[in-house]
Amino acid sequence: MWLEILSEILKLTVFAGLALAGALAILIWKRDLKTKVSYLRFFVQAAAMAALFLLFSYTNELLYVLIVIILLTLFLGRLFCGWLCPLGLYLDLMAVFRKALKIRYWNLPDKLNKLLNKLRYLLLAFFVALPFVLEKIEPWQWSLAKFLMGPFKPVSVLLGPVEPLIIPWESRLKFYGLNLSYPYASVIAFYSGESFALANMFLFIALTLASSFVVRRFWCRFCPTGVSFAVLNRFRGFRWIPLLRLNKVEEKCPKCGICKRVCPVQVLDVYERKGGDIAPSMCMLCLRCVEMCPYEECLKLNMAGRTLFKSRNWLEPSKIE
Amino acid sequence: MEKGFGEKKYMVELSEREVEDLRNSVKATSLKLMDEYIERMKKTWPNRPKIMEYFDEVAKFFGTREKEILKAKEEGRKVIGYTCMFAPIELILAADAIPVRVSSGIYDTTKLGNRIVPVEVCPVVRSTIGVGMIGFSPHLEVSDALITPLTCDGMAKLSEILSDRKPVWTVCPPRLKDSEQSMRFWREELQSVKAKIEKLTGTKITAKKLKTAIETMHRATRAFRRLQELRRGAPVIMGRDAMLVNQTSAWDDIERWTKKTEELCSELEKRRQEKILACAPDTPRIMIAGSPALWPDNWKLPNLIEEANPQGVIVADEFCSGDRFLFDPVGVDEWTMDDMFNAVAERYLLPSTCPCFTSEDGNVDRVNWLKARIEERRVDGVVYHVFRGCMLYAMEYTRIKKALDKINVPVYYLDTDYTREDVGQIKTRVEAFLEMLKSRVEF
Ligand code: SF4
Ligand code: SF4
Ligand code: SF4
Ligand code: SF4
Repeated sequence: MWLEILSEILKLTVFAGLALAGALAILIWKRDLKTKVSYLRFFVQAAAMAALFLLFSYTNELLYVLIVIILLTLFLGRLFCGWLCPLGLYLDLMAVFRKALKIRYWNLPDKLNKLLNKLRYLLLAFFVALPFVLEKIEPWQWSLAKFLMGPFKPVSVLLGPVEPLIIPWESRLKFYGLNLSYPYASVIAFYSGESFALANMFLFIALTLASSFVVRRFWCRFCPTGVSFAVLNRFRGFRWIPLLRLNKVEEKCPKCGICKRVCPVQVLDVYERKGGDIAPSMCMLCLRCVEMCPYEECLKLNMAGRTLFKSRNWLEPSKIE
Repeated sequence: MEKGFGEKKYMVELSEREVEDLRNSVKATSLKLMDEYIERMKKTWPNRPKIMEYFDEVAKFFGTREKEILKAKEEGRKVIGYTCMFAPIELILAADAIPVRVSSGIYDTTKLGNRIVPVEVCPVVRSTIGVGMIGFSPHLEVSDALITPLTCDGMAKLSEILSDRKPVWTVCPPRLKDSEQSMRFWREELQSVKAKIEKLTGTKITAKKLKTAIETMHRATRAFRRLQELRRGAPVIMGRDAMLVNQTSAWDDIERWTKKTEELCSELEKRRQEKILACAPDTPRIMIAGSPALWPDNWKLPNLIEEANPQGVIVADEFCSGDRFLFDPVGVDEWTMDDMFNAVAERYLLPSTCPCFTSEDGNVDRVNWLKARIEERRVDGVVYHVFRGCMLYAMEYTRIKKALDKINVPVYYLDTDYTREDVGQIKTRVEAFLEMLKSRVEF
């Protein structure tokens, strides 16, 4: 009984938190801090996590959640990765810690980064194809197949990064009666068997966090979920669909190189390509490059022809003040 | 002591008397000339804001600014000169040294330079050599060391020749800027300069100091950009005055310069609202591109344009001593030493549109830069200014001309030397060009 009340209270708090975050986000936008997008993004990420928690409390059908995200991605590109993904938030928080400790990140060599980018497609294909293959060979008679089949259903794999910190169902990680989770935690627990579940979960958590402490958004460089979104928008037949586009005006860009250096996933295209619709499938629309580009209206985020956000002379305070 | 420094590899022997005489005569003309040019600027812009007097004062060589620098030197501060805008000012400031630009715009000393290098060499180089020979330039003389970027052939040899008189620290910008290995090389170059700056000043460049220096330069860039913004719409400032403000940033105390420039901009913004213009709104809007025109003597061309009949107003210039000088901010992602240093290195190499760069696609950044400025400042015509002997700017002209023809902007090629003799001849040609623009504007 008291647990239910607690959970209701929790949901209400989350609602209130969401509203608060929204208000704060608007305030920040108005105050126009130099790095406003970066701050705003943290709020949206936190709010998204709360929203996901609410979503999961009212539905158990993960498939619907996936469909919503896919639709969102179809039209908005990988905005999900930059602004909504809970795992993305944890990885970004690691970068904040790192900055606080004044330690510099490592860049992956561009070649390796590109390789990982390609590897994403392979990983995705593997996870999507697996169940169909295994169905044919009577999985429950073959232990290897069983273990592959069990946890790695495409839905649970693709929704891995989406698991919020607190989940409304039973989990292995408990804290004062709250069910905690971490991206892929349930998948890992399932696959590890009783005795190793916890150890493996912590190992995974430690690995993902530590790696992105060193390399910005390391997981995202090969995350199968991220690439599934990318696939949607980047296949030729689908290219007209996305409403959100990152645009560059060739003449306004003297190639100062800032966009290349500040991109958390080391996207080169924004710097290298001449102009027009420039974001590659690796770009998660975090807008860090747009925010840091010092040339007015050189980079723009366009939505169906309208400019939502554009680069500007960030040395000047905004005109709103 | 530095290698090679002090050894007379190039310098000719001059007797002390000769030096003294030359100094005096050059100084007399220069002082007269600076006063005259400032007077002429005042005349062209009748309601010139009072605050401009500050910049006039700084612009006068052998004046208050030189005394100030000398006093700072007595107090133990070091002065680091540089010949070209590839020198990392942030690193100099972070070591609490004073950065000054030493390349010379004085005509009379070119003749002296001719004794060492042939007349075919770029006059900036010859003049700077001449200035070095007689210890004339206030900025070269006060420098404890020079940062000499090896950009064009002239600059490379100038560095050698100046090493007869001052310790020179060469930095070599790669010809191709757009590759990882170039960037790595350039970072190494700046690392070694950083070490040398630290050794000379005895100040370690810490993360905190570098951050302060970057922020100081951010404020300067902000003021600098604000001034260039003001040259966009109907003219509220004459081009020469804007150019003077731009150039003084290369030797003034940068924080005070920032403050004064912001004051000037506030004044100009007020005028913009009250529609107090510096000249008629239909005055042809000119951009000068090409070889840098340096204060004081090289005010020849700006003078001609803004005093011509019909008058033109310079709304943009492409000089590394002018519009390009402080335009780019250092874009720091994370305030760690490494990232700050990389950001500084990138800022000096990548956005530079100096013609010493090339790529498989040519110097396309420069073409884009020009086109963007032409569009935003609504330029009516471009005067392409080339010093005789300046190969790089001369050779790129054809490409620029073609690109500008495409967007239907007239270009006028003007080659000149460090001499006052061609003024009359240039005047007729510039006026004809302005006449043509004027009729286009009216049309
Ligand atoms: S790539 Fe994967 S982990 Fe990264 S933000 Fe996107 S979905 Fe989340
Ligand atoms: S930050 Fe802007 S100006 Fe600089 S290279 Fe990128 S797009 Fe071009
Ligand atoms: S390219 Fe720009 S918007 Fe895309 S991920 Fe990189 S910084 Fe973010
Ligand atoms: S044109 Fe280039 S090389 Fe010459 S002084 Fe300017 S920046 Fe230096």
